[in-house]
Amino acid sequence: MSTLRREATLALAIARKDARAELRGRHAAVGALFFSAVVLLLFGFALGPDAARLAAAAPGLLWLALIFAGTLAVSRLHLLETDDGALDQLALYPVPRRAIYAGKALGGFAIMLVLGLVVLGAVGILFAVDVGGALLPLLATVVLGTIGIAAVGTFYAGLTVRLRAREVMLPLLMLPVLAPLLLAAVKATSAALGGDPFGELGAWLQLLAAFDVIMVAAGAATYGYLLED
Amino acid sequence: MPQTTIYVSPRSLGAPDQRPPAVVTVDLARLFAGNAALAGVSLTVEAGRAVALLGPNGAGKTTLLRLLATAIRSSFGTARIDGLDLDRDAALVRARVAYLSHDTGLYDDLTARENLDFAATMLGTPDRRVRVARALADMGLSDRADDRVRGFSAGMRKRVALGRILLGQASLVLLDEPTAALDDEGVGLVAQLMAAWRDVGVTVLVASHSTDRLEPHLDARVTLDRGLVSDVDGMGVISTPVGVPAERRVVVATR
Repeated sequence: MSTLRREATLALAIARKDARAELRGRHAAVGALFFSAVVLLLFGFALGPDAARLAAAAPGLLWLALIFAGTLAVSRLHLLETDDGALDQLALYPVPRRAIYAGKALGGFAIMLVLGLVVLGAVGILFAVDVGGALLPLLATVVLGTIGIAAVGTFYAGLTVRLRAREVMLPLLMLPVLAPLLLAAVKATSAALGGDPFGELGAWLQLLAAFDVIMVAAGAATYGYLLED
Repeated sequence: MPQTTIYVSPRSLGAPDQRPPAVVTVDLARLFAGNAALAGVSLTVEAGRAVALLGPNGAGKTTLLRLLATAIRSSFGTARIDGLDLDRDAALVRARVAYLSHDTGLYDDLTARENLDFAATMLGTPDRRVRVARALADMGLSDRADDRVRGFSAGMRKRVALGRILLGQASLVLLDEPTAALDDEGVGLVAQLMAAWRDVGVTVLVASHSTDRLEPHLDARVTLDRGLVSDVDGMGVISTPVGVPAERRVVVATR
């Protein structure tokens, strides 16, 4: 079996294990989903009943809700590894560290993608935005954006999972790094919803893709050090 | 009931005297917050031997096992497993070492079978499903194989963790208090495992406070005290005092 194929098998096994535990324990997805719903509702209350104002703010609210909920989801997904020393055991398997990172990030991405699609639908309903009119570019934005959140989140969740103050440290470390992603994703979403009159959507999607490539590569190269004592 | 012959390895490791020493440590030390949990241990264990690590709480038994398992890095000193450097060749060492720690490393929301199936994938075990079923049977867990481990007792969890070791191809097995939480039958299982590992030439280091039932399967006993080797008794183990230059090392206890 080629090295790449073996690593892909390992990463899929880790992601499948996380998905199975998640479906049974519902540690990450349900909590993150309710959290994002609460964030959207509270922002809605804060902005008032003005429909035009809500629609204009919708792209920003969508991505803030997703990033906040993503912090929660990746954290909960890593907490699975604190079951009776599971992370230590995972580190002792004779497998490449980047395969472990890829597996954890893939599990995070799967949850974030589901979350992204649900929150996108919720934004469409709550803020009266025509999501259906620009479905393909919005889907591309959600896919690229959630890859970035999962890639960054997996790294920082691995960094903080052993800390006592992990709930505080994770957002403190993760959110500033996600600032470029937030900017690009909000701009791409705005462009998609507005019919892309200035033809800028492609550039923002390219920026999102570049962010993803850099963060996945950096995470894969450095995650192994986080597993060391 | 467990089967009479436990399937521990698909391969023979070769005659122990044809292999390099399973473990060679030189002045191995580990500090935690400035305190030496291991203060400089120089130990050589011949391949295929079963060695008990004895000593009071805080003597350094667990730290030594964790270092050899690559779970933690040393502060000073060097160690080799089957001739491979513990720091430089950590990835290769991991393929040769199996470690049973105090924690079982199991996922609570997965069943015993799913936990072992995941381990088998990570270990690259051939014939995964058959081997997992066999390990579960050997550990006397066939009846509970499809129950989530969240509901398992401490002893049952330990059996699943022992079953995980059976899925790899380790030439060195490190056991930290393997009989803790096990019932009489479980302790018998560990003794059976020790015998089976000896048959195929696997080296075993076992840290335990009660080695009575394992005694027939042991070649040597190494006693640690405050992070140093205080006594060695038995065959196949050499210990030298800390800080002695290599060319002047004298075997202080072996026979």
